[in-house]
Amino acid sequence: MTDIRLSEVVVDRDRFRVGPVDLEIRSGSATVLLGPSGAGKTSLLRGIAGFLPLRQGAVRVDGTAVEQSPPERRGFGFVPPGLGLFPHRRVRQNVSYPLDLRGTPNARARAQRWIEHFELSELAERYPPQLSSGQRQRVAMARALAGEPRALLWDEPLAALDVESRDVLLRLLRELIEAEGIPLLLVTHDPATAFALASNVVVLEEGRVRFQGAVTALPHAPLNRFMARFLGFENLFSREELLAAGDGPLPRALLGGAGPSGIVVPEDALSWTAASSGNNLAYITSVRWAPRGWILTLRQGALAFYVHSPSDSLHLRVGDAVRLDLDRTRLRPLTAEGAS
Amino acid sequence: MTSDTVGDRGAPARRALGAVLATSLIGLFVLPIVALFLYAGYGNVATAAGSAGFRTALSFTLLASGIAVCFGILLGVPLGYILARYRFPGRSIVESIVLVPVMIPHLIVGIALLVLFAPTNPFGAWVAGLGIPIFDAIWGVVLVMVYVGASYIVLTSELAFRSVDGEAIEAARSLGASPIEAFATVTLPQAFRGIVTGSLLMWARGVSEVGGFLILAYAIYPSFPYGGPVTNTASVYIYNLYSTTGVQAAAGASALLVLVALAVFVVVRLFDRTGMAWTKVGWFA
Repeated sequence: MTDIRLSEVVVDRDRFRVGPVDLEIRSGSATVLLGPSGAGKTSLLRGIAGFLPLRQGAVRVDGTAVEQSPPERRGFGFVPPGLGLFPHRRVRQNVSYPLDLRGTPNARARAQRWIEHFELSELAERYPPQLSSGQRQRVAMARALAGEPRALLWDEPLAALDVESRDVLLRLLRELIEAEGIPLLLVTHDPATAFALASNVVVLEEGRVRFQGAVTALPHAPLNRFMARFLGFENLFSREELLAAGDGPLPRALLGGAGPSGIVVPEDALSWTAASSGNNLAYITSVRWAPRGWILTLRQGALAFYVHSPSDSLHLRVGDAVRLDLDRTRLRPLTAEGAS
Repeated sequence: MTSDTVGDRGAPARRALGAVLATSLIGLFVLPIVALFLYAGYGNVATAAGSAGFRTALSFTLLASGIAVCFGILLGVPLGYILARYRFPGRSIVESIVLVPVMIPHLIVGIALLVLFAPTNPFGAWVAGLGIPIFDAIWGVVLVMVYVGASYIVLTSELAFRSVDGEAIEAARSLGASPIEAFATVTLPQAFRGIVTGSLLMWARGVSEVGGFLILAYAIYPSFPYGGPVTNTASVYIYNLYSTTGVQAAAGASALLVLVALAVFVVVRLFDRTGMAWTKVGWFA
């Protein structure tokens, strides 16, 4: 069992600072560093792996401080976003590289275990440039694991993969967590990856931790504008928008005194049906197709709401009226920018 | 829409013009060599090959150019690596300096080296004091060859090191490689082809040099490691043949020198093809 603990870790990249971060990663669990581009996820991961110096803090592996050790002594399997495969070595040689370095007896046989595990036997004599993206991801994973790392650190594991390869890799990563018990620390900008794989998540924005905890708690995390957008909430209304909307559908009373800076309307707070008259009418101002159905823009008063219609066919058009009801008990307050 | 799409009436004419221009340049490269071999004929080439003087000049040139390339690799590859990997104040100045030998006429290189290494100045006196003969000796030839050719090794190795994936180096480190092991197992193998190309260019440039040798090392007297009779470099020997005997004898020796150069080129390319199969696939094909 491996236990990795980060204490007050701060990493500087040029003039950009990431942290402080406290984190514990245990065997058999996956932790995801989540955030948009430029949030500092990669810098933090590179700091943990030993490729960026820590400004402060400690990285402990089973209680032993490793933050002063060079990358080759930390025992982490670090997979960069481009995978870092060796183009001049065949797949077999890539996988056996860490074993060859150490002069491990039976290196070839040991490498073969991982080659078979990741279904690479037929590709073993090929060079990386001859492989597809998904195959290269599997080679990178096999090579990292052949080195018997104490933890796997992977920067954007699912980037640039088609849906099928993505599903295969997710399955392999889940198996890896369950069967091998190797702790995973993954970086991604995609919340869906976090939900698919992680037990814990750290959300970074501009180098600061905005949320940290179990992935199941993420949808209920306090929302600022960044977190709300990042988690896919589309109906966000600032204090100014609500005050300017007059007596609209949303409760302006919430915004008095030291109240929230805005309101998030989760989609499950909205219900709508086709109607041409009656109360709570809204009008369709745009209709567009998305992979899982239609996205409608419904304007009610001065406010526009986005709603999804999962049906394949849609009989409504721009300009049609609908009845839009709002469950006020499901509204969520929007905290000030930067607050977590 | 590309120029090859249907309806682009000018495309065939542009393609024809491009083909004519490209063929003209290839013709300019090849025709003089063909003319040289046709003019020299087998007899003159055989005469040159049978000439003890030319054989000595040729073997001396191969020895000196081999030593020069070793120095070029020793000094040029680290500089190429530094320029590829590090940012430092004055880097662009260093890059410009690397190009200076390519731009200066090589007769002037000979004169400049003559002035620098003259025993009448302190630096020249110091070098002479070390017991390293420069004038009319193999080390003068090596010096000129390194001066006029090492830039090619620096430039090609810089490009080669630049093209090595930095993430592959980081992955190697994370997998347990020390910086030296990562250099030896990841960086160098990937940059090797560029270094070989640079070495070949430097060798070819050194062998074809004349101007610098005329000034610094016209006649070569024996000194370690060259222990043969007094000779010239092959290029100077051919120049002498042309000046004294005429174009026919010079053409025979020239054709032989071209054959030797082609043989070296072919051997290096064969090594390149068999030893570096990975460069023939995917990203590198």
